[in-house]
Amino acid sequence: MTKKTKKLLILYFFAAILVVSIITVKIYNKPFINIVESKPSLSLASEALLSDFINDESTANTKYLEELIQVNGTITAIEKGKDGNDIITLGNENIIGSIICHLSKNEENLKTGQEISIKGICTGYLMDVILVKCVIIP
Amino acid sequence: MKTILIIFTFLLSSITVVGQGKFLTKQGYTSFYSSTPIEDIKADNNQVLSIIDTSSGTIAIAILMKSFSFEKALMQEHFNENYVESDRYPKATFKGKILDFETLTNKETKVTIVGDLTIHGVTKKMEIQGNINSTEKDISLKGGFEIEVADFGIKIPSVVANNIAKTIKVTYEFDHKPYQK
Repeated sequence: MTKKTKKLLILYFFAAILVVSIITVKIYNKPFINIVESKPSLSLASEALLSDFINDESTANTKYLEELIQVNGTITAIEKGKDGNDIITLGNENIIGSIICHLSKNEENLKTGQEISIKGICTGYLMDVILVKCVIIP
Repeated sequence: MKTILIIFTFLLSSITVVGQGKFLTKQGYTSFYSSTPIEDIKADNNQVLSIIDTSSGTIAIAILMKSFSFEKALMQEHFNENYVESDRYPKATFKGKILDFETLTNKETKVTIVGDLTIHGVTKKMEIQGNINSTEKDISLKGGFEIEVADFGIKIPSVVANNIAKTIKVTYEFDHKPYQK
């Protein structure tokens, strides 16, 4: 082996390590989905989403969990969460159960009774359907 | 899953009969923390449902596994897909009793809660310490405890065994309000 090939081999070796580490760091730091810029995979009324979960929770789980979905409905309550962000309840006063939307940043000028469209990630159903990282669609 | 539904249906249906006596939060906070020399992993959940029945001191808690939010997307993905298998086991639950609940006064008191914690489809008897402050308008309950990953049948692949602690610290903070509907 000449000195030149030896040098080249060492160079290749370090280049390979560099490429592997860059890829590893890239995968490790893979970003979360950008809600603001992503298109929801589904759009439906709050009552339809709720009744899907009430009728058959496990089917609804496979359909909606971890999906970015758009929900259209009427605001029945606005609360402040522990982290300071607003929590909006969509639904109907006459029905038990609602869609609880945890906003990722606060919106001005929201009031109860208002019709809104919101998109967020569905994490499941307890007494209500839960959406997290929500953004209001103007 | 059925049993959880039955428990909550039972709890809720009894509300309409008794009227008063149920305190609830739908935005309870819980977090867990794994610390190893290689990395620290923390996840928060602000969507916990907790119901206290003041007539008996019983408490029922339901947690959506997919609601845990991590610092890195990859951690969250591994947690849901490989470790807690949240497609198969979407919820963790706790049902138990706050001991000596009837003797509580309007100031912060240490309490012991005994009950069954179910994670990843495995149920384990737990005794949890907490601080409670119970008034007519509000019952706040907070504390922390530790769980062993292996106790709940959660398998950690050997490749990442050094990244994830065997003992996980859990904290919780619930601010229950009177239930009316």
